[in-house]
Amino acid sequence: MDDQRPNCWVTLVGTSAGKQSRNGTGVMQVLSHNKSDIVHEDPACGVHGLSQIEHNCRCSGAFFRHLLGAYQRVQRHIVGLLPQRIRRRAPDVLSLSTTTQLTGAMVAFFLLIVGVNSAAAETKRVLILHSFGRDFLPFSEFSGLFREQLVKAYPNQIDLYEASLETARHSDPQDDAPLLGYLRSLFSNRKLDLIVTIGGPAARFIQRYRSEVIFLSTPMMITAIEQRLVDIAALPASDTVIAFNLNFAAAIDNILQVLPMTTDVNVIFGNSPLERYWVEEARRELQSFTDRIKFIWLNELPFDEIRRRVASLPPKSAIFYVLFAVDAAGVPHAGDRPLQELRVHANAPIFTFIDTYLGRGIVGGPLLSHASLSRLAVEAAVPVLGGKTPTTVSVASVGMETPVYDWRELQRWNIEESRLPAGSIVQFREPGLWERYRLQIIAVAVALLIEAAFSAWLLAERHRRRRAELESRGRLLETIHLNRTAAAGALSASIAHELNQPLGAIQNYADAAEQYLKADPPNLDRALTILDNIRRDDQRAAEIIMHLRGLLKKRSEIDLQEFDLNLAVGDAIHILEPEALKRGVSLIASQAKVALPVRADQIHLQQVILNLALNGLDAMQGCDPSTAELTIQSAMIGKAQAEVSVTDSGVGVPSNLLSKVFETFFTTKQHGTGLGLSIARTIIETYGGKIWAENREGGGAAFRFTLPLAKRVAT
Amino acid sequence: MKRDQPIIHVVDDDPSFRASTGELLTAFRYRVALYESAAQLLEKPPTSEDGCILLDLQMKGLNGLQLQDELLARQIKLPIVFVTAYGDIPASVQAIKAGAEDFLTKPVPKERLFVAIGRALERSKQVREQDDRHALLRALVSQLTPREYEIFDMLVHGKLNKEIAHALGTAERTIKFHRQHVMQKCQAKSLPQLVLMAERLGML
Repeated sequence: MDDQRPNCWVTLVGTSAGKQSRNGTGVMQVLSHNKSDIVHEDPACGVHGLSQIEHNCRCSGAFFRHLLGAYQRVQRHIVGLLPQRIRRRAPDVLSLSTTTQLTGAMVAFFLLIVGVNSAAAETKRVLILHSFGRDFLPFSEFSGLFREQLVKAYPNQIDLYEASLETARHSDPQDDAPLLGYLRSLFSNRKLDLIVTIGGPAARFIQRYRSEVIFLSTPMMITAIEQRLVDIAALPASDTVIAFNLNFAAAIDNILQVLPMTTDVNVIFGNSPLERYWVEEARRELQSFTDRIKFIWLNELPFDEIRRRVASLPPKSAIFYVLFAVDAAGVPHAGDRPLQELRVHANAPIFTFIDTYLGRGIVGGPLLSHASLSRLAVEAAVPVLGGKTPTTVSVASVGMETPVYDWRELQRWNIEESRLPAGSIVQFREPGLWERYRLQIIAVAVALLIEAAFSAWLLAERHRRRRAELESRGRLLETIHLNRTAAAGALSASIAHELNQPLGAIQNYADAAEQYLKADPPNLDRALTILDNIRRDDQRAAEIIMHLRGLLKKRSEIDLQEFDLNLAVGDAIHILEPEALKRGVSLIASQAKVALPVRADQIHLQQVILNLALNGLDAMQGCDPSTAELTIQSAMIGKAQAEVSVTDSGVGVPSNLLSKVFETFFTTKQHGTGLGLSIARTIIETYGGKIWAENREGGGAAFRFTLPLAKRVAT
Repeated sequence: MKRDQPIIHVVDDDPSFRASTGELLTAFRYRVALYESAAQLLEKPPTSEDGCILLDLQMKGLNGLQLQDELLARQIKLPIVFVTAYGDIPASVQAIKAGAEDFLTKPVPKERLFVAIGRALERSKQVREQDDRHALLRALVSQLTPREYEIFDMLVHGKLNKEIAHALGTAERTIKFHRQHVMQKCQAKSLPQLVLMAERLGML
């Protein structure tokens, strides 16, 4: 090999010789299209670099021809044979080739193999030999891990080769030859540094052909095999065994632990020689359970039948899935499809003892860990690759590990977690609402909290405001009450004298009655009439007191009622009469003929009228008594308003002060408080009315207020 | 009820007090007349019979003091007892000055009322008797002829017979004759009695 050449071979394989040139162009197009870094085009080689590729082809002509012969048999594993670094790209290239115009005319494909020239001394060649195929579960999981970890753990370059004993699925030993031939060709010029077998058939294949040159001096590592399948005595000292221990009894114990009522266990096996071996092993190991459990061995049924059977299992059944490579009909089953299909159709829980299946539909239990197995294998492989050939057969094995369960399956089969053995691990726990929507829940909670806090703040604020309003209203009511008390005080003298009328009358009547009773004969009829009169006058006295009490009574709340405004006017006139009499003022009352329903506190309106009237009386102080007149009038204005006017014949209000008289603390009286009219306004405005003052043409002032009627009055 | 029993006139615009006072006085065998206003009293003024007026001070229309003035103006001399619910000092002073007999405040204990009424009636009696005497005197004097009245007037003013005769241009004897008639007609036994009479009639 010329060192000046790019360090890659491009091998072109074609069946149609006459179209080589065209094919080569096509390949070249594909390659350049792919911009693959493994092709180094020399600009001097022409447009397509075809000559370079042909040159490379010539350089590796012998290998090319050999590979062509082998190809058709190992077609599916070509990609698997690619060195690790290239394999990733190969599918891209292949799929691109199918998209080119060439696909119809030729059955051509190409294969890229990169042989690393540089640092060849450090590069170790490792052959991984699969038993059932590269993608056969559960081995594929182990081999995947092993590959990955080995490349990582070994400091130098590793040239990985993989081959598979597809034939292990069947029982025909004659099928060994092509693979052996292929391996011979492949490794005749390349010294293998380590052979790793995965699964029993692969180990037995190598052992069978250990005398072959290519295997002879190469240390072998037997992995992913049940310990009892390895005849350690037959191995050369350089070999290593990384085995596992299957414990069928432990698996069945596990089923009984989580589902104690189980009576039937359906054991799923394929029917390949290896599987048949294991069926026998299992039968033997499970002998001790037969008094408690009925085992149904389904290995001699084709998969379709098995699938049908598990769909209608009696209650208290369980399925024990061990291995399913080839069914009784000879159909190979790769990957986890058999398990997936069983899970879809089965009406009983599925158990197994290999952790690969965890998360794919098995309940779980003590499981073999592929990770542990792979770790052991890598730990053993690295020193061997480093040149330390073991002097004795080293054997390491893994057993069943801590029980692991699939939460979803536990839920599906109603297995309570309390039934699981102590220290069990439960995986695939589906996140609850909290786990799944933690952020959203927190956000919503925070939002709610903020909203709640905001609401609380608003409520508190509202409460505070309401309290302030109540307090303010309380103060207003208190002021109104004080004003009313003052009015009552101003009227008290006349009210007291007013009270003297009925009291004096009662006394007179009592004296008269006494006299009639003392007479001989007593005048009883007269006395009885007098008692009636006494009762009437007593009633009158009570009414006066009641009016006064109405004025003096303290109220903490407005007593809002609908009433006839004429009543308030009448009551006020009643209270005012003695005072007007005392002052020698004629009190003229004129009430509306219709009811004036308003909505307010009756005492408050009465108070307003008293305030206005007392003002009027004060304004007439010192006037000629013969002309002093106070008129209190109620009337309906329009259809929705009631008006009360209090008119005096006094001095009137200076016109510049007309608008100021309602201001708080404004007074023209020497001893006035300046509150009466201000409170009158407050009260009237509280009930939605208006109050104002005006001067009369003939002298004197008129104070008027209007209130909205509570309902339309039919006139 | 005796015809000459005094009448108590009750003027009060408060119906219950007016009625009760009437009842009380009736029970104690007074003659009572009730008036609901001053105007009603003035419509039909009391005669010169004995009696008194119980008058409310504060009334609508004409008040008590105004009625008092009016009665004085009309020479109705019935004594007035004010009974008021609103008695204040200025009002009472004014009333008493104007000749009110008493000033009572409601409610009035009956003893006080009766004492006041008794005094008023006594006064009323005196006034009436005085009036009666005046009337008698006036009746006596009215019997005199104009010439006799002339001589009566000069006599009570202290003129001697001689002076009167001179003033009238008649004989002293003629004067003595007329003087004799005057004394007889006036039922006077002496000159001083005649003078006293003239004084009572306000001629001096």
